[in-house]
Amino acid sequence: MTIAYSFKSAFQSLCREKWINILSIFTVASSLLIITLTAFFLYNVGLIANHLPERFSMVAYLKDNLSKEETQNIIDTLKRRGEVVSLKYISKEDALKELKQTLKDTGYILEGLNENPLSSSIEIKLQKDFVSSSNVKKISEEIKKTSGIDDVYYGEKVAEAIHLLKKSLQNMSIIIFLTISTGVIFVAYSTVKILFYRKREEIEIIKLLGATKGFIRMPFLVEGGAIGFLGGVLGTIGALLFYFAVTYRLSVVIPMLKTLVFPFEMLIMLPIAGIVMGIIGSVIAIGRLRL
Amino acid sequence: MIAFHNVSKYYDQSVLKSITFTVRKGEMAFLTGPSGAGKSTLLKLMYLAEWPDEGDIVIGDFHLQSLAESQIPFLRRNIGVVFQDFKLINNLSVFDNVALALRIRGVGEKDIKNLVSEALKKVHLRHLSDSNPRSLSGGEQQRAVIARAIVAEPLVILADEPTGNLDPNTSIDIIKLFGEINFQGTTILIATHNRELFRNRGKRILKLDGGNLVGEEVG
Repeated sequence: MTIAYSFKSAFQSLCREKWINILSIFTVASSLLIITLTAFFLYNVGLIANHLPERFSMVAYLKDNLSKEETQNIIDTLKRRGEVVSLKYISKEDALKELKQTLKDTGYILEGLNENPLSSSIEIKLQKDFVSSSNVKKISEEIKKTSGIDDVYYGEKVAEAIHLLKKSLQNMSIIIFLTISTGVIFVAYSTVKILFYRKREEIEIIKLLGATKGFIRMPFLVEGGAIGFLGGVLGTIGALLFYFAVTYRLSVVIPMLKTLVFPFEMLIMLPIAGIVMGIIGSVIAIGRLRL
Repeated sequence: MIAFHNVSKYYDQSVLKSITFTVRKGEMAFLTGPSGAGKSTLLKLMYLAEWPDEGDIVIGDFHLQSLAESQIPFLRRNIGVVFQDFKLINNLSVFDNVALALRIRGVGEKDIKNLVSEALKKVHLRHLSDSNPRSLSGGEQQRAVIARAIVAEPLVILADEPTGNLDPNTSIDIIKLFGEINFQGTTILIATHNRELFRNRGKRILKLDGGNLVGEEVG
């Protein structure tokens, strides 16, 4: 019964104190919209970043004059390593052919060479979880020790950049989420505190009638949760409008935008996050007040 | 039953000095004295809006001296208080104001409807059930407060200058109403400085002056 009263009382208060509540709801909605748009941006950058390690590879240059058997042994040894996804053997003849294709019009540079100066090599693709500068360095040093391998080339900076990008995205999303969540909680906290003071007289009467602290607090918690929920719903609508505007309208001008993916989980998560943040703000506000 | 045993209350100076008296179960008594005699403070001590500095107060089964803070709401549920300034919530209808006393106790909505109608009928205010308290006259507002006080059938009803804001005729009506409620068995203590209210009613009158209980008589 107390629950029904709390919901009724919170609803009446939302209507009665409509301006302060509308202001709070829009503030919460804007904050949650910023979280959603950040998540939307980071999610898409993350998708791209996730594909980068798949393109990363290292190259092991083989010593000259290895027999077919020795080369196969090296390939088998590398294949047995857990972090290796695939291998591609490139003979010195294929390497030269590829170089010529790359040079195209400036192919004359290679004229006058009596012999092929390039080495045979093995292109190694690693599992994406292993693509970090420290891992790649360690793996390359281990591979270098394999008999028949002359040198190992790996894009240390590329690996580091990929790793850094992923790490930065994670950190950035955590910082933005925490900052804005704190803001939303503070909005709920302030609103509930103001509403509490505005109802001070009413609360005094209810106390004299024999209301428990729980009975007095419950409508404020419901109201805080409702502000968060409504803010979340508005934020969700805003985020959807933004997404459709980007993918349907702006993509006419910038076709690449059509490939953007919206994390639709956010549609459910946003109102839930709003409720949780609203209730946390209310709990702090009511907890600090003397009843 | 209300019992005071050597109850004292101090602010900067002594407001109530070693007060001892009893109001029996089902009795209706008046507490009288000039302004500043300590009548309102004495009533506030009973529903713990103020705490006694010395002595013990017993309301039914509640011994206030040893009452835990968490038990205060349950004590208050056994006391119906009628205030001089009404203390009605203006953004609720008369019905909801009266119903609040039951909602606090967790009574179901169906029972609330019946009990509130019954209480409003007793105070002759059923026709104004949907009205806003601000649209009522002083007498009607006081009737609504009495309905709120009696709706949950408390052990005791305390009235602090219940006719202080009312004209003489309405005041007499309100006191008659208290008489009817008392007739049904509810213990009532009314604080008033208006002698006309208790004259020739055959009720016990406790006289308070300067924080001392200076005597009692039957009016």
